Amino acid sequence: MIQLKSMLNCIDNSGAALVECVRVLGKKRPATVGDKIVVVIQKQRSLGHDLSAAAQAAVKVRRGDISHAVVVRTRKEYGRADGSYIRFDDNACVLINKSGDPLGTRLSGAVGRELKKKKWSKILSLAPAYV
Amino acid sequence: MTSESFRPLTTLLHRRAASTLSTTTTNTLRSRIHFATRPNPTLPRRRIKVHPPPPGPPTKDPISVLTAAQIKALDPSGSRAELFSRNNPQAIRPGDIVYVRRKNGEPFSGVLLNIRRRGIDTSILLRDQLTKLGVEMWLKVYSPIIDSINLVQSKEKMARRAKLYYMRKLKHDFGPVRGIVSDWVRKSYAAKKGVDKAGQSAGQKGQKEQKAKKAKK
Repeated sequence: MIQLKSMLNCIDNSGAALVECVRVLGKKRPATVGDKIVVVIQKQRSLGHDLSAAAQAAVKVRRGDISHAVVVRTRKEYGRADGSYIRFDDNACVLINKSGDPLGTRLSGAVGRELKKKKWSKILSLAPAYV
Repeated sequence: MTSESFRPLTTLLHRRAASTLSTTTTNTLRSRIHFATRPNPTLPRRRIKVHPPPPGPPTKDPISVLTAAQIKALDPSGSRAELFSRNNPQAIRPGDIVYVRRKNGEPFSGVLLNIRRRGIDTSILLRDQLTKLGVEMWLKVYSPIIDSINLVQSKEKMARRAKLYYMRKLKHDFGPVRGIVSDWVRKSYAAKKGVDKAGQSAGQKGQKEQKAKKAKK
């Protein structure tokens, strides 16, 4: 249940570590796995003080940037059609651009299987595991 | 006659009794008492459907009867119910590691935190750690999607609680269950293979003996 002011972990390598949700897109209800949200980057992933030019270039977003994101894990349990419920230990998202492509190139951590149903196959293919 | 037919039966009887003088009419009246007059004879007769009574004797607790019927349909052998029965000493208890195989989809395993007993909706909460991230799943015990529920490792000492939500805290978190489960899966397959092999070899031995006997005869 991600809504305004919800903090999420950003699990890709786009440069963001912690983001805050400011808007849920497409529905008038809190967001769950597979929903698109608008986020503000609150914390940047610190890669070290002396960064090479290539590493600096790889960081796509900075603190204070506004970006779109897709929720991939929620701490609130959500149900599936077979009667099972699933719950993760944190809220997490993956930053995307306006056309729906992920900004990062790698993901860390498991994601929810609902991404397939909601047509986020690119994100699902990057994920190391899905539940 | 139409104006008369709209009046209640009793007044009709009284009027007929008053108007008649012979005794024969009383007999016909008596026989007539049993028939109700139709408000409008020109309209077709109404066929009022009388439904048969519901089958079976009336029960004080239809929900438990329904639950028993549903469980019987989904778990005819009773093995699933026995796995989580309170009376069974070999039952799965909170704190045990459980491996659930599903018909479609990947199997899920984890530490059992909670058994929610609600008749047909009885469900279990399994907690696992995938890629250093805790994942919990509620699974319906009687669901036809679930192929099998297996006890991988039971807790050494009985958990002193029925709901083990304290295991969400870092101090008590069991951690990933993958290693224990993969060992168990490997062992169970090996055991199954061993049994099959033993069965085969025993069968072959038996056939050889029979052949030898026949040859002797």
